[in-house]
Order: sequence, then structure tokens, then C-alpha cells
Amino acid sequence: MSEQMDGDQSSQSRYQKIEFLGEGQFATVFKARDSQTDQIVAVKKIKIGSRAEARDGINRTALREIKLMQELHHENVLGLLDVFGHQSDISLVFDYMITDLETLIKDTRVILYPAHVKCYTLQCLKGLEYLHLNWVLHRDLKPNNLLIDENGILKIGDFGLAKFFGSPRVYTHQVVTRWYRAPELLFGARIYGTGVDMWAVGCILAELLLRLPFLPGETDLDQISKIFQCMGTPTEETWPGVTKLPDYVEFKGFPGTQFEEIFTAAGDDLLELLRKLLAMDPLNRCTCTEALKMDYFSNKPNPSDPSDLPLPSKFKKLQGAKRKVEADDSPAARKIRF
Amino acid sequence: MDDIACPRCKTTKFRNPALKLMVNQCGHPLCEKCVEIVFIKGSGNCTTCNVLLRRNGFRFQVFDDPIVEKELDIRKKVLKDFNAREEDFATLREYNDYLEMVEDIVFKLTNNIEVDATRRKIDQYKKDNKSMINKNRGRQTKDDILVERLLEEEKMSSDLRVDQQKREDLERKKALLKEKEDLIDELMFSDLSAAQIVALHDKQKQELLEKEEQEAKERSRPATAFSTGIKLGSKGSEFLPVKKAAEAPPYEYKPLIIDIMGPPAPTVEELEDFGYLNHIRGAEEQEKAGGFESKIACERAIQSALCGLYFGIDGN
Repeated sequence: MSEQMDGDQSSQSRYQKIEFLGEGQFATVFKARDSQTDQIVAVKKIKIGSRAEARDGINRTALREIKLMQELHHENVLGLLDVFGHQSDISLVFDYMITDLETLIKDTRVILYPAHVKCYTLQCLKGLEYLHLNWVLHRDLKPNNLLIDENGILKIGDFGLAKFFGSPRVYTHQVVTRWYRAPELLFGARIYGTGVDMWAVGCILAELLLRLPFLPGETDLDQISKIFQCMGTPTEETWPGVTKLPDYVEFKGFPGTQFEEIFTAAGDDLLELLRKLLAMDPLNRCTCTEALKMDYFSNKPNPSDPSDLPLPSKFKKLQGAKRKVEADDSPAARKIRF
Repeated sequence: MDDIACPRCKTTKFRNPALKLMVNQCGHPLCEKCVEIVFIKGSGNCTTCNVLLRRNGFRFQVFDDPIVEKELDIRKKVLKDFNAREEDFATLREYNDYLEMVEDIVFKLTNNIEVDATRRKIDQYKKDNKSMINKNRGRQTKDDILVERLLEEEKMSSDLRVDQQKREDLERKKALLKEKEDLIDELMFSDLSAAQIVALHDKQKQELLEKEEQEAKERSRPATAFSTGIKLGSKGSEFLPVKKAAEAPPYEYKPLIIDIMGPPAPTVEELEDFGYLNHIRGAEEQEKAGGFESKIACERAIQSALCGLYFGIDGN
């Protein structure tokens, strides 16, 4: 059933490959069993890439992940359990997560209740508050990077673009997947703060409500125009200094659309949160702590318990059987669970 | 869906699902609200092509492509004059040529090709065929005749149904009356006891009612399908079942405290109040616009300075 990872070092034989999970630009991910703790984990094997990259040493995104995640421990942040290397490849061992928010949003058979949306948003903001208090910017928040385990716990993953912030230094603005990119990044701001992550959370919350990407821009320029159509074109009064940003371009004055008309089913407390998360001026945008203190989270309906959150349709059978399987810990039962 | 947008106010269908576009004879769309604003005096110029338009010429756009709307408009007008029938032509060939010509005219007017020449052609045709046009206007086309016939048939069958219903009701009344008379007759002349006779009749009556009920049920059996053939009430739900969960406790914010293994760092408010910020470079306007403030850098620097000072004490 399982095949050993290449190599014969102790740390490598510790993880037994179960199946192939996926492949990204920088890495391939496998599901594996940790033979020491008998825990199911995800092993991310970083690709060497081109010869030129190999000469530079370890891949930059992998280095970022290792550097930051080793010190971060929070319920809503994906845990980096181990790192091991063999010759020139390097592998990262993470908590095993069964799905992500993107899959859930796109699954048309899943019903998301207001209490579910509140629970996801709450978990995401709690994890992000922890990151921000530790001076870490994630810079690539999107539903695809919000992973969910079988107990409904949401964890922020993929720290390939994450960076420490706070010192007044120049960063690249080419971060964050376009649909979730904040307006100041689109205008080329090189010094920015937690606002870029908050904007992305606003877009994700909107996507949870609409079940469609909120601002699906086709190009960077189209992205700006979509934002302005929705929020109205900013001026020096509404966003001081906007015209001084490096890539500022003058736009036609869109009047903006009322959020009530877009999110017809949302209550006033939720609209208020969206307005604060999607404020055009990053200094007007709320921080995680401010967001968590807003009425939306303490008002009814109460956020649902994570274990009551829906799972995508391919895990349908699992939902009923889950509790029973946990009691019975034989290898066969484990196989059913994942 | 994104592409449906008002050219004047830039509202899109995506942002405002209630958006309704309207078109006039020039075929340029405008949303309902803009029509109200621009044509407040009853007439005005098209915001796209500057043609003089009247407000009551606007109607809701049915097709996504405004050109289709324009074409329909033109076709309606052209067909008013070009109303010849197949019977008016000697051969099928001639009729087809005529149809081709009509399509040609509609196409040219829709796409603004040789508009003047085409209009002249229409005028010429009108003059040449004045009598035929007027004659055809009063005549019904084959399609009209067919529709009339279908309507007539429908009316007849519905009349028939009403008639039958009436007759049935009358018969039922008669049967009831007869039943009553029978009962009295039997009570008067039969040898059986009165109670027996009444019981027998009650039973008969009951049976009759049951039979009628059954018939009524059969007549009004609920439809199982829409007229389009789609079955009513699909089996099995489309969605995954939602677990009935007990209500979770309300959320209450608990401040997140990060252990920096050192003396507590001043809060952002304290940084401002105690004048820490006076000693560092203020953020430039451009940096502020990007969401950076000098107090962030100050807080971070001071926190870093204090962080880890207690490391190694108390068994850390």
C-alpha cells in the first residue's frame, strides 16, 4: 500500500507515502503517514526548478515558509511539523487537511448558512490576527489557501509569499492573486501594511456570500476598474495621497454601488464589516482585532461549531461515520477516513 | 453577465442585478435611470450617437445584443410596407427574390450601409405598389387565419366542458330527489320495519357519495408535469443535507496575548501619548496612501528591543 520516499535517511523513512495529492508551481504534495506518531501528514516536496535556480540554493518560497512557519503556532495557522532534506531537495511536512475553502465555495451542492459563513470568517480573522501580531504579512490570502481539516477547523496555509512587516522598507507590489489584491498594490505602493491582507479577507467574505468571485478582474487594469465600479472612484478627499502612488492612473469617476444592492441577503452588521474590510483607503481599513470586536461576530446568529460545518460532496458519506471511525483506530478504519 | 452595462453611468448587471437596459430606434442601450435623467423633457439626443430621440420610443431591451433590437425595430417598420404575399407572385422564384430584397433592405438599414439609397428604394417601392400595399393591409395572412381557427377550437371545447358539467349537476340533483321519493314510498308500502328501510337507504346513499368522490378525484388528479414536459417535484434533493446542530455559544472577543519574553512593550496609544513618535521620521504622504504609518515601525522596533530580555530567567 505504501511506498517509501526516496532515500534511506532516518527522517525520510519516517514518512511513508500514501498517495499523490497535487502539484503546484514550486512543489509536489503527497499524503504520507508519519511512522513515529502514526499521524497522517502532507509532505510538500520542493521542486528544484531550473538549473539557474538550483545554483541559487534553496528555493526562495520554501525558505520563506520554513523561516516563518517554524515559529508560528496557532489553531488557525497551518502547522509546519518537520523539515528534512536530502542532497539538493527539501521537503516540508505539514498537518494533513482534507479540503480548502475554494472547493467548498464552488461545490454547488453545499449549502452555506449565515452561521457557517460567520464561523469561517471568524477562524480566518483569528489566524490572521495572530500572524499580524507577530509582524507577519501573508500576502497571498485567497479561498484556495484557506485549508480545512476533517473537524471543520480552518487553517491559513501557503506562506510562500509571506514576509515580516513593520520596518519602513521597500517591498514588491506584485503580490496577492489579482482578484484579492488591494487597490494600493494595484497602484504600485511599495510600502504597505496589514491592509493588503484585510482587503483579501473582505473579498473572501464577499465570495462566501455570493458564491462567486467578488471582483474577477481579467487584467490589472480591469481589476482596478472593477473595484472602482463597485466602491466608487477614490479622490484625494476619500483617500489622501492616492494620486502620489507610483502607478496611479486617473480613472473615470464611477459613482460606486451600494453594498445593500450587491449583498441583498446580508444584515446591517455584516454590511458594516464588509465596508470596513473593503475600505479604499488602507488607513481606514480595519485591523483583525477591530474586525473581531465588531457587532457582526457577537450578534445572532451565533457562529456555528466548527464540527457542524459542511464538507464538500465527496466527503458526504464521511460526515455521519466520522465520530465512529475515530473511536475505532484500526488501519482499515484510517483508510476510510481519508 | 458582466458585459451588460449602461454606457452612461457604467453600472453593470453584476453590481446591480436590478439593472434594466432600454433601447430606442438607434439601437444604443441606456439604463432605466439614465433614460429618466436624460429624457426628462420627453425628448433628447442619444448619448452614444447624438440622434434625436423621443422618450416614449424607449422600450426594455430583450436581447443581449442591442443591434438585434435595432434590427427588430427596422424590420417591423419595413414589413409594414413590404407586405406582399406568396399569392401575389407568379412563381416561387419571384417570391424568393422579393424576400431576399426585403432582407437586404433590413440589413443595410441596420448596419448603416447606403442608408439614403435604401430609403429612396423603399419610397419608390411604396409609390409603385401603393394599391397592393393598401389591399394587403386589410387582408389576413395565412398565419392569422390559423391562429383564429385554433382560438375558435379552444373556445368550443371549453364551452362543451361547461355544458357537460351543468348536465351532470342536474342529473345528480334528480337522483337525490328520486332517492328521497323512493324512501317515502317504501316506508309507506314495504313490509320491512322502518328502521331497516332507513338503514338500507343510508347505505345506498353512502355508496353513491363514495362513487362520486372517486370520480371527482380522478378528474382532478394533480398534474405530474409542466406543459413544457418538465416533471413536477424531482426525486431526491439537489443539495447535501445540513446537519441539525444545536446552537453554538455566542462569540466573545478575547485579546490575543503574544509572549515576547521581555518587559511589556508600550501600546500604540502610549507611543503617541508619551511622544515616542516625535523622534522618528514621519511617514510620507505616499507611504500613508499605501497604508504605512510611522507608529507601526516604532511599535515594531520597540517590541523587538524588549523581546527576549527575560530569556533564560525562570527556567525559560
